[in-house]
Amino acid sequence: MHGLVLEHIARDFTDGRQVRRVLFPTDLEIAAGELTVLAGPSGSGKTTLLSIIGLVLRPSEGRLVLGNRDVSRLGEDAAAGVRLREYGFVFQQPMLVEGLSILENVLLSVAVQGKRPSKAMRKRAMDLLASLGLEATANQQPRLLSGGMKQRASIVRALLKSPSILLCDEPTSALDAESGQVVVRILKRIAIEEQRVVVVVSHDARVFPYADRLIKLENGRVVSDTREQYVEGSGLAS
Amino acid sequence: MRSLAAFRMVVHDRSSTAGALLGVVAIVFLVGQQLSVLFGLLNYMSVLVDHSNADAWITSADLRNADAGNLISARYLDRAMGFPQVQWAAPLLIGNGLFRTPDGSFEAIRVVGCRRPRLAGGPWDFAEADETALLDFESVTVDRLDFEKLGRPAVETVTEIGGRRVRVGAITDGARGFQGTLVFAPFDKVKEVAATPPGRYSAILLRFLPGIDHDDAVARLRSAMPGCSVFTTAELSRLTRLYYFTNTGIGGSFGFSTAIAVMIGIVIISLTMYASVLGRYRDFAVLRALGGRQRDVAAVVFSQALLIAGVGVFIGFVLLAALLNATRGSAIPSYMPSYVSPLLAGIAIVVSLLGSLVALRQALKAEPASVFH
Repeated sequence: MHGLVLEHIARDFTDGRQVRRVLFPTDLEIAAGELTVLAGPSGSGKTTLLSIIGLVLRPSEGRLVLGNRDVSRLGEDAAAGVRLREYGFVFQQPMLVEGLSILENVLLSVAVQGKRPSKAMRKRAMDLLASLGLEATANQQPRLLSGGMKQRASIVRALLKSPSILLCDEPTSALDAESGQVVVRILKRIAIEEQRVVVVVSHDARVFPYADRLIKLENGRVVSDTREQYVEGSGLAS
Repeated sequence: MRSLAAFRMVVHDRSSTAGALLGVVAIVFLVGQQLSVLFGLLNYMSVLVDHSNADAWITSADLRNADAGNLISARYLDRAMGFPQVQWAAPLLIGNGLFRTPDGSFEAIRVVGCRRPRLAGGPWDFAEADETALLDFESVTVDRLDFEKLGRPAVETVTEIGGRRVRVGAITDGARGFQGTLVFAPFDKVKEVAATPPGRYSAILLRFLPGIDHDDAVARLRSAMPGCSVFTTAELSRLTRLYYFTNTGIGGSFGFSTAIAVMIGIVIISLTMYASVLGRYRDFAVLRALGGRQRDVAAVVFSQALLIAGVGVFIGFVLLAALLNATRGSAIPSYMPSYVSPLLAGIAIVVSLLGSLVALRQALKAEPASVFH
C-alpha cells in the first residue's frame, strides 16, 4: 500500500483583500498500517490539512507525494481519478445520498464516473455490509437507519474499492459513545489488518486511545507528533 | 449508476420534481393548445382552396388571398378548356348574403356557388344528406358548426338568402371559412342571390390530366392569360394563409402567447430545478469528493432534466390529446398536424435542458472540499 509524504505543504486563503495563512509549511510522512489521528482545536488547520491530503484542496506551497508520484498539482479531472482509485472518505456526517438505498450509496463510490458496478463489486459490497452488521439494511433508505448505522454504511462506501488511503473527518462526532467506539475500532482494524493509510481528524478525546500516531495542530502548525507513542486517556503526549 | 442516482433523486425529491414537471407540462400543453388553435385557424383560412379538389385556380390579377378576388371574365373558362393539359375546368362564384333564420332574424353569410353536375369547389363532409342535394336549383347546404347561429334549420327547411327562396338540402360537418359562415348553393342560385353580372366568375378551378407537370402547366396558363392570376392549389392555399397570418395580427398574437408559454415553462423549470440542486448541494459535493468529475455531476443534472422532460412531455401530450378530443367537432378551431407533435416534444425537451442550465451551474459549484468541516 502507498504511503503519503507531505513536503513543506502550506495553504493560504484570501478574502479578496488580504491573504491569510491557515496552514504553515508542514512536513509529514504518513505510513500505512497505523491509525493516524490529526487533533487540535477548531481553526487549527487540521481540516485544511485533511483536505489537501484528500486532493480536494490544492496546497499553496509544497508537494504531496503518493507512492512516487507528486499529486499536489493535478488538474481537477486527474485529481478526481486519483480520489476514485486510491482514496476512501468517511465524513463527519455520513453524507449518504437520500433516495438511494444503502447498497446503492455504497456502490456509488465505484460508479460515480458512470461505470456499472460489476457483480463481484456488488458481492463485495454485501460482504462488507455484512461484516459491519448492516446486511439487513442493504435495500433500506438512509433515513431509516440510526446515526451509527449510517456512519458504518459510509465506512463500507469508503472501503468498497479497497482504497490505499482512508481519510476520516470527525467520524465519531455525531455518534453516541458506544457507536463512536465501534466506528473507531473498525478504523483501527482496517489500518492494521489491511495495511492501509488511515488518517482521522478528530477532537474527540475518546478516539485518542486508539491512535497509533497522534499529530496535534494549533494555529496552522504541527505542535506535537507522537509517532509510535501510546496516548493515554484523553491527554495529549508531547 | 449516474442515471440511477438521477432517477432516485427525481423520485425522492417529489415536491421539486412536481414543480419541474409542471413547467414541462405547461410548455407542452399551453404551446400545443396555442398551436392547435393556430393550425385550426389556418385550416379555416384556406378551407375553400384546400377542399376544392382542383389542381389549379384562375383568379383575378394581383390576388392577395382567396377570399378577396375580383370577378373575372367567363372567357377564361373557354381559354383554359382549350389547353391540352386541362382535363376539366369549372367556375366558382362567391358572394355575400343575408340568411333568414327560422325566427325571422338575419345572419351574414358567404355563399359559394358551384356548377352542376361536377360541383367543383363544392361542399365535402356531410352530417346529413349529401352533395346531390345541390343538383336542385333551390337547395343549399348549411354547416353543423353554424347550426345554432342559423336557428337550427333542419333539412327541408325553406328560408331566404338575399331575399331569394332557398331550401336546406344538406348539412355539412366542418365546412367553415375564416371569414364566417359558408353556405354552398348551385352556381345559378348564387348568381341570383349575389346579383352577379352575367359572364363573370369569382374563380375558375382546373384539373389537369394525369401525369401532367402542374408547375409547367400553370406557367403556360400564366403566359397565356396575363390579365389574371393562375396558382396551383397549394400556392393559393399558402398565399391565403400567409396573408391572414401576417395581416391580421394572428401571427404576432400567437407567436407572443407561445413565447410567453415557453418562457413561463423555462422559468418554472429553472426555479424548481435550481431549488432542487440547492437542496442537493451537499450530495453533489460528496459525488465530487468520491471521485466524480464535473461532467459526472453534469450527467446527473442533465439526466434528471431529461427524466422530468420525458415524463412531462408524456403528461402534457395526454392532456393535449384530451383537449383536442374534447374540442373536436366544436366551434373551437383545433388541429394538430402530425409533424408538429415530435417537434413540440423536441422543443419541450430542449427547453427543459435549457431550464436546467441554471441548476447545473449551481451544481458545478459544489466544491468537494466543502464536505470536510
